[in-house]
Amino acid sequence: MNFVHLFQMLDTNQSTNAKRSALVEFIETAHPLESALAVEALTGRRERRQLKPSLLKQAAYQAFADESWLFEECYAAVGDLSETLAILLANQEAVSQTEDPVLAQWQACQRELSKKEPDALTSDLLGLLSVMSRDEAFLFLKLSSGGFRVGVSKGLVHDAIARAIDMDRAVIEERMMGAFIPDEDWLHRLKEPVTQHELDARPLPFLLANPLSESDVLELDPNHVAVEYKWDGIRAQLIKTHETIRLWSRGDQDITEQFPDIIEAATTLPSQLILDGEILAGSPEQLQTFNDLQTRLNRKRITQNLLKTNPAFFKAYDLLRFDGEDMRTQPLTVRKNILSKINVIQSQVIYPAAHQDIQDMRLKARIEGAEGIMIKDRQSTYVGGRKTGHWWKWKLDPMTADCVLIYAQAGHGRRASLHSDYTLACWNQNNELVPVAKAYSGLTDAELKAMDQWIRKHTLQKFGPVRQVEAVQVFEIGFEGIARSTRHKSGIALRFPRILRWRQDVGPQDADHLSHFETLMSDSNAV
Amino acid sequence: MVSKKRRHRDPLIIRTPEGLYCPKARAHIDPWRPVDCALITHAHADHARAGSKHYHCARGGEGLLAKRLGDHIIEPHSYGEPFSLGDVQISFHPAGHVLGSAQIRLDDGESVWVITGDYKRDLDPTCQPFEPILCDVLITEATFALPIYRWPSMDQVMDQLFGWWDHHIRNQRTPVLLCYSLGKAQRIMAEIKQRSDRSVQVHGAVANLNIEYEKQGVQLCPWQRASESDKGVSTDLIIAPPQVAGSSFLKRFHPTELAMASGWMQVRGVRRRSAIHQGFVVSDHADWNSLIKTVKQSEAIEVFATHGETRVLTRYLNDHLGISAERLETAFGIEDGIDQ
Repeated sequence: MNFVHLFQMLDTNQSTNAKRSALVEFIETAHPLESALAVEALTGRRERRQLKPSLLKQAAYQAFADESWLFEECYAAVGDLSETLAILLANQEAVSQTEDPVLAQWQACQRELSKKEPDALTSDLLGLLSVMSRDEAFLFLKLSSGGFRVGVSKGLVHDAIARAIDMDRAVIEERMMGAFIPDEDWLHRLKEPVTQHELDARPLPFLLANPLSESDVLELDPNHVAVEYKWDGIRAQLIKTHETIRLWSRGDQDITEQFPDIIEAATTLPSQLILDGEILAGSPEQLQTFNDLQTRLNRKRITQNLLKTNPAFFKAYDLLRFDGEDMRTQPLTVRKNILSKINVIQSQVIYPAAHQDIQDMRLKARIEGAEGIMIKDRQSTYVGGRKTGHWWKWKLDPMTADCVLIYAQAGHGRRASLHSDYTLACWNQNNELVPVAKAYSGLTDAELKAMDQWIRKHTLQKFGPVRQVEAVQVFEIGFEGIARSTRHKSGIALRFPRILRWRQDVGPQDADHLSHFETLMSDSNAV
Repeated sequence: MVSKKRRHRDPLIIRTPEGLYCPKARAHIDPWRPVDCALITHAHADHARAGSKHYHCARGGEGLLAKRLGDHIIEPHSYGEPFSLGDVQISFHPAGHVLGSAQIRLDDGESVWVITGDYKRDLDPTCQPFEPILCDVLITEATFALPIYRWPSMDQVMDQLFGWWDHHIRNQRTPVLLCYSLGKAQRIMAEIKQRSDRSVQVHGAVANLNIEYEKQGVQLCPWQRASESDKGVSTDLIIAPPQVAGSSFLKRFHPTELAMASGWMQVRGVRRRSAIHQGFVVSDHADWNSLIKTVKQSEAIEVFATHGETRVLTRYLNDHLGISAERLETAFGIEDGIDQ
């Protein structure tokens, strides 16, 4: 099989399985240089443009002479420059040969062409296309002009390579990292025996927690469990060997390249180590949201600027390998004990004496920026999968209320020019709006901007920097707890209030009454 | 409106709300509303509409027309045999589009007009090949009037089809070919017959038309109507109209692999947008080269282009071939975006 045939298979099959088998068959049967160059192209490593689109157009104009408007009509109907040229200028009768390698030869052609003057180049290009089949011409032009895309992911290619040469995918991913040399020996290099180092660099199966409800908690013996916060980040293993430091997510993805700051911080750790933990946005002192973390995952290139605006860190909570030794058969308390001696950011753990301690910790989870608590059997070993009796998770139910914006004030720092600090109110028995909270964050930049404009247009009065606005906008706020307060007109004080969302779907009359907070307060006291 | 500065007095054919009309013959050509007398080029729904009092068509196409129209007066005429309506001599000539398809030649002694209807120049075992006719005025279709539309040979397409078919039955998937049920389906079955002893199963809409084709002596490959009771993967190719994609009809053959046979499949983006992953370029319309060849061979001094890329064709004829050409709006073509 050659690259043209592979492309035809990938392009005309819809299922991932069919695409994978096509890739496997190609890697198994193609000339090794052909498969090397194909893998280079399929994994997006060949971005250099040998032929600019303007040159391709020039060739088409030359071929169409005074009928170039007709070429433009065709281009408009097809929508892709390479394809238009392939349809119009390739040899329609030629059938693609599907066995002999093409890529090395095409690369040589590209190099030759790119050395020529534009006029000679277009003539030569036309001559070249006229002896190619349509698919060949299409692929040649796509590869040459840097616009080659076909519906396969890098992961699928790696998976196919692993299957074709019967190797572990994690090892292939590791060996495909960084520079890829597309020569005839590429498969041999990948096939070399797996070294101890590579075995060490592979992630271990993650232990997953079972959900728990309040009544379940009462059945646990507090003296047999350890409790810590449940963090809302990306579960990951930080793997340090003698030679490398890698981060693997639970989705079997190597995400090392996305988090250079975490890798940098890990250089001081002892090697031969595997930590289980959570990648979190922000800093231990100032957590950011999960969304901030997503930004890091979605970027192809991590810039210095992104590292500043979206910092991340690794919070460890388990130790799977230490000094080269597998710790997973050790009880949790032993692993935690050793972990506590390693100089790494780690999750605080308590060993409760009573059920109340567990519940207290859960109540504090919100303030800590956690999404609940994890309860772990003190004697549990570390095993892969969702095993019962090892780890449980008990998530928080959010406390919320819908409140009306009555005052706004300009923010600070990045938000200096925006009215981003809101005073929010709810209704009392006399149908008056009374302030219950000041909230600063929770809206997107776009929402903040829109609200800022609205605030400027709907100001009733100004008190220095504070604007009183029309009671129209409703926000859902989230908060950690409620306490009685004599200092506030409403008689209550909310802890850590923040805006969860802008309720553009409701009006001020739909906002909550003080009685709502009374109910929440009695509920939380009952917990 | 059709004729502008022609030397002859009145244009032989004009456009009316009912469609193209020849006043001297008191006959409409492929009218889109009921009229007294309709000359029909072929039995596709956008050309053959029910409700007129009297229909004329080419012999061989009357059966298909009857299926389409129901109980109507249909008068078939042999190809090339003229008959008179008023002072106009009218004759049907092979268009090579589908069984019984015709170009219509109208001659009032002063000028000769030819309406091509839909046509192609490629050979098709299910119908008589297109016959070039000399005329003064040619009214041609322009569905695929762009140089990107150049049809590959049937040998090339059938090799590709057989390869695809075998590939999927080896992988335990039922190959399903979606194509227009009148004409395209039978053409592909006749091509299969010429090359192999392979057999197919067809959707009911195709089966009814197959019977009519076989009645007219067209040799199709062995076929049977896909029955409800046959469950599971089929090694026969399934031929069905495009509307079955996503319907319950295909469930019985699960898992299936869909392909489409159409001239539009020439463009990768069109195929990918249709969510059909394999396309075979087979069209019963004239491609770019055939359109130009036909205009030249007609030696017409005036050309009207009806449905499709009329703007491109008329500009090309005017600017590059020096043939006076104009666009003519009709209600033909594009029915659900399928290449008929």
